[in-house]
Amino acid sequence: MNVRKLCCIAAAIGLLQSCIKDAPLNPEADIEAFTVPQHQLTGDVFIDQTKSQIRLYITEEAFEKGIAPVIKVSAGGTVSPASGDTLKFDKEGIKQYIVTSANGKNSKKYTVEVINLLLGKLDFERWDTVSADGANWKYVNPLGEDGRQIWASGNIGIAITGVTEINDFPLHISTNAYAGKYAAEMETRPGNELSAWMGIHLFAGSMFLGNFVTDFLLENPLKCTQFGQPYKGVPSAFSGYYKYQPGPVFIDKDAKPVAGVTDRCSVYAVVYSGTSRLDATNILTSDRVLATAILADGSAKADWTHFEVPFKMVNGKTVAPGTPVMLAIIASSSAEGDHYRGAVGSKLLLDNLEIVHE
Amino acid sequence: MMNIKIPALMLGMVMVAATLFAQDNGNEQTKNEAFKPVLEHRILAGFNFGATAPVGFPNTIRKIEGFWPEFCPSLGYELSYRATHKWGAAIAVKLDYKGMGTKDVVQYFPTIITTSDGGRFQGDFSGENKTTVRNAYVSFPLSAVFTPNSRWRFNLGGYVAWLFSSNFYGTVSNGYIRNGGPKGEKVNISEATFDFGKEMRTFDVGLQGGAAYRVGKKLSINGNLNWGLRPVFPDDFKGMDFPLYNIYLTLGVAYRI
Repeated sequence: MNVRKLCCIAAAIGLLQSCIKDAPLNPEADIEAFTVPQHQLTGDVFIDQTKSQIRLYITEEAFEKGIAPVIKVSAGGTVSPASGDTLKFDKEGIKQYIVTSANGKNSKKYTVEVINLLLGKLDFERWDTVSADGANWKYVNPLGEDGRQIWASGNIGIAITGVTEINDFPLHISTNAYAGKYAAEMETRPGNELSAWMGIHLFAGSMFLGNFVTDFLLENPLKCTQFGQPYKGVPSAFSGYYKYQPGPVFIDKDAKPVAGVTDRCSVYAVVYSGTSRLDATNILTSDRVLATAILADGSAKADWTHFEVPFKMVNGKTVAPGTPVMLAIIASSSAEGDHYRGAVGSKLLLDNLEIVHE
Repeated sequence: MMNIKIPALMLGMVMVAATLFAQDNGNEQTKNEAFKPVLEHRILAGFNFGATAPVGFPNTIRKIEGFWPEFCPSLGYELSYRATHKWGAAIAVKLDYKGMGTKDVVQYFPTIITTSDGGRFQGDFSGENKTTVRNAYVSFPLSAVFTPNSRWRFNLGGYVAWLFSSNFYGTVSNGYIRNGGPKGEKVNISEATFDFGKEMRTFDVGLQGGAAYRVGKKLSINGNLNWGLRPVFPDDFKGMDFPLYNIYLTLGVAYRI
């Protein structure tokens, strides 16, 4: 036996020892699906994995009687109370679900929040600070007048690219308010090295009624913005106050300056039928859209400027009584921000929005 | 795993060398008188086959779907000093490409990516991975050489190597990553690329040993195993949570000049 053979044998032994080990037990502890019968819903259930919150959009009848959700958790995990147990919305009712991972090491505590029909003021006086266990990032998000999670933004997506400080996020609080203490400020921010890997060189400030899912962040970020809250009928107008300062240099998707173009803001509201949410790929083009109210003037406004835009029905559309309807309000500091075009530094301030009924 | 295997390999090599040395001592007196110490020069050429791999797979690697060698030439010059008929020493300078490609499936694979602008992403990936490695080193192997007869020549020693060109890139696909860890937000990944080439250590050190068999007047075929003892990524690199080592076999020829 020579050394070469020995070396080969040693290498072969090395390879043999390197074989595949037993699979690790699942460390995940998610509620993946929370299913409620369709007739009890005013909007699709949303599971917020950042805040570990189940948002329910249910009919008055379901709210009074309670629901029996079918719960699906991460493979091998367990949930308490169990799937199928009745959830009642009174003082004694279930307030939270605890999921334990298959490997027993992780657990997540999900709270349940029922989102009411959108009726209160949209004055940006209440804000929530969002973070996660052990995370180094923190951002803010406006709440409804009743303290519920009705607004969302792309801030969580930006947190995933490594932005950490509250004021570095595109959506944040401003004390420069039209009325009350606070207004919502959206600011178009430069991308970073991680976002550049995805071909993103600019984060437009945005805010909308609805929810943000992270699942499609890399595949198709426009699908992450789930627009809309349950509503009844079609309102007559959308009004509010805004200020807008476009940033100095408009850049295209590849971060190249485009001469002669000034950034614009976009503020609009859409009413559409159904209980599943439209997203940035189809909010204006879906045949479910019933009416829109779009702010026409997205140019610079140094002072608080009032707007009131009537809802315009899409040709030939009518709303039958009892049809489930969703309402979305969408605002961005760069109108083409959904295509990663805009000017870094563009700032849009919004305050005292209102959905006007006749 | 690493702790057991490399010492075992070292021990194996030392034992072989010791056995050979013992045999040699027995024969020494008969042939020694006629021999004069001599310097020998050789040109070495060959290819490297092997892997930049963990020693013992972590359980987050679920399946190896493919493995292929990259085009990895090895070219060098060796100077040896034959002190006795059978024993000598050699030093060489080599240009060594070390590379491979692999396709695997991973589950809950922890990764931390830091960027030069201070950005940081931490998460657990589950899905498919394809990695291509192709690194060029200038290496300096130093060996004890044993020549039992006119056909065989064995060497055992160590090497130091400096990286001068690095490639360590690939794709992750058909899976998802969880932001921050197993409890974080899920982000689906249909396909994304990564490139850790710039993160690699520029200095490698390891053990090497092999054998040459003379097939012509001056030409030998040889095989030499090079086992890196230093992880190819620095300790503060967290793209993978286990160390990788350069483990390559050079197969080629040596031409005595």
